[in-house]
Amino acid sequence: MSILAYNGGAVVGMKGNGCVAIASDKRFGIQLQTIGLDFDKIFEVGPKIYMGIPGLATDTQTVNQRMKFRTNLYELKENRPVSPKVLSAMISNLLYEHRFGPYFVEPIVVGLDGNNEPYISTFDSIGCVSEPEDFVAAGTCDDQLFGMCEALWKPNMNPDELFEAVSQALVNACDRDAISGWGAKVYVIEKDKVTIRNLRTRMD
Amino acid sequence: MAGTSERYSFSLTTFSPSGKLVQIEYALAAVASGAPTVGIKATNGVVLATEKKHKSMLYDGTSVWKIETINEYIGMCYSGMGPDYRLLVKSARKAAQAYKMAYGERIPTVQLVQRVAAVMQEYTQSGGVRPFGVSLLICGWDDGKPYLVQCDPSGAYFPWKATAMGKNFISGKTFLEKRYKNDIELEDAIHTAILALKESFEGQMTAENIEIGIVTKDGGFRRLSTGEVKDYLDNL
Amino acid sequence: MSSSALVPQVPSGGFNFSNYQRNVSLCASGFPAPKTTKTGTTIVGCIFGSREDIGVCLGADTRATSGNIVADKNCEKIHRIAERIYCCGAGTAADTEFTTKKIESQLELLKLNLGREVPVVVANRLIKQLLFRHQGHISAALVLGGVDNNGAHIYCIYPHGSTDRLPYATMGSGSLAAMSVFEGGWKDNMTEAEATKLVRDAIAAGITNDLGSGSNVDINIIRKNLPKPVIMRNMEIIGVKGERMGDYTYPKGTTKVLKTEVIPIKVEDEVVERMDTDQD
Repeated sequence: MSILAYNGGAVVGMKGNGCVAIASDKRFGIQLQTIGLDFDKIFEVGPKIYMGIPGLATDTQTVNQRMKFRTNLYELKENRPVSPKVLSAMISNLLYEHRFGPYFVEPIVVGLDGNNEPYISTFDSIGCVSEPEDFVAAGTCDDQLFGMCEALWKPNMNPDELFEAVSQALVNACDRDAISGWGAKVYVIEKDKVTIRNLRTRMD
Repeated sequence: MAGTSERYSFSLTTFSPSGKLVQIEYALAAVASGAPTVGIKATNGVVLATEKKHKSMLYDGTSVWKIETINEYIGMCYSGMGPDYRLLVKSARKAAQAYKMAYGERIPTVQLVQRVAAVMQEYTQSGGVRPFGVSLLICGWDDGKPYLVQCDPSGAYFPWKATAMGKNFISGKTFLEKRYKNDIELEDAIHTAILALKESFEGQMTAENIEIGIVTKDGGFRRLSTGEVKDYLDNL
Repeated sequence: MSSSALVPQVPSGGFNFSNYQRNVSLCASGFPAPKTTKTGTTIVGCIFGSREDIGVCLGADTRATSGNIVADKNCEKIHRIAERIYCCGAGTAADTEFTTKKIESQLELLKLNLGREVPVVVANRLIKQLLFRHQGHISAALVLGGVDNNGAHIYCIYPHGSTDRLPYATMGSGSLAAMSVFEGGWKDNMTEAEATKLVRDAIAAGITNDLGSGSNVDINIIRKNLPKPVIMRNMEIIGVKGERMGDYTYPKGTTKVLKTEVIPIKVEDEVVERMDTDQD
């Protein structure tokens, strides 16, 4: 079993029309034993930028803290907020620094940039960035998530459509994954508000 | 043994009883006796202009430049000691590249100025070194705005609308204060910069003994060719 | 300046091995390191024309894979090294990305400090020295191509640091399919159109016959007598996605929500103070 699947968990992100969404499950486990039901894998970086970090739970938290350190320093030094693109470059650099002893995470960045244009990106564990124009998925059920997103995603979804698409993609993908699920949290980011919804899911 | 080496490893810049750092003041004196440089910020760009006079007619200055490119949109010039300047140019270029690697974006002019200024400050507080004998003029363009900043040997930096450094800088500044307008355009600013240099210029001004650099939104930073400088001089 | 009292402004760079021991022991207890994104890849390059009308044509597919999953359907594998030098990358995606970025940065510095365009041999040298230094651990297999005052050049660079200078080259898992097209169709002094067609065919052969390659054809053409390269991103879409006949959209309200929280974002007029120096 890959170390990425030791604790379980999945994150998915999608682009809509003037909005982006990111969603994750809430399970924290040790292999097949469930330990927690409110484990955060999505972190706020700015008012309109969120970062999801599925993978080995210890590294999820370490990478989040290291990024917090770097983004705080950036914002103090430059007297301006980080943009999603800059955040991506910073995550990529942090992960590639550890090229020969990686953090076992596959982060996802979603957000609206300075012009409120949607932005999503995803990384492998050593910092290779990809910036697709539709959706990103990572975690233990990423195969299922890719399948769900490939069917549900369509261009120019409004915030409500985006919420249904991303939620159903996550819920149904987690249904076929033994080590993720147990509740889900969905963030829909628009230019004037962020809506956080907790979903009802199977609890087994 | 340790005693002697320790005694001489202190910084040269030690406070005088009156609270002055005389070495920095001497460095400023070196700058004030250096070749004049002016910079003017216009609405649509920035111009740097400097005097490049040679002591001998035998000197071949065709491959040596005072105005240098730091990256696509940032340029630099100096008054003072040439060798010191080249070290700062090198570190500025490196800082610009390092920033781009780290954040995937071009370095903002102000950030570059701060990094160069930090190097200059370090040389006022470290052992075994002396301060830089140069003042820099750094110009750039980001987010639709022009920038012009002067950087002194102490590491202090000043944003200007227009300024002059080096020999006769006071008369240069007085001239600019009289001529500067907030809505000045680049072409006009280039003329004004040449005139400001001319204020204290001894002898005939030619395309070979001055240098001009400009930064604009569309063209980025570039040094004007001798042909272009000649055109400006002819049209004065 | 080792005695400096200042915190260094620029991160020192280099790799960090702080997780290495942990990862080795995790691996020993049956938790292997995860798969990284590879570019299975078909990449090619060839020289066309002669003398002053010489140029290079570089081509690549756009699929990135993670195991059997297509990680990115439209990634960019032709990286900029300098104004007229480009480099196609195959192997571990992060390695090709970072290697080419680092070399691009070094060449830009070199260009500014030397005051002239840097020739292709220099790019080749810097890359091979970097790769050799890391003894093959940086898995980047590259096709470097560009023009300079000495003409047009294609270099094949292997992960351990060996290089070939060739008139035409292919790399990656689709290199066999692509090479068969080159061996059958390549000739001396091709026109730009002939070279573009040949490169397109070679990449298309990789996309259709090698499962590690897929999606679209990217082509860059760099000519000696043109100051800028011609970049044809997605010049042809080979792997066309089937048309979706049904609609799978879930109606609004399908998902059961337990709790909703709304964080409003107030945007006041933003004024940024750019600079503040309180000097006398």
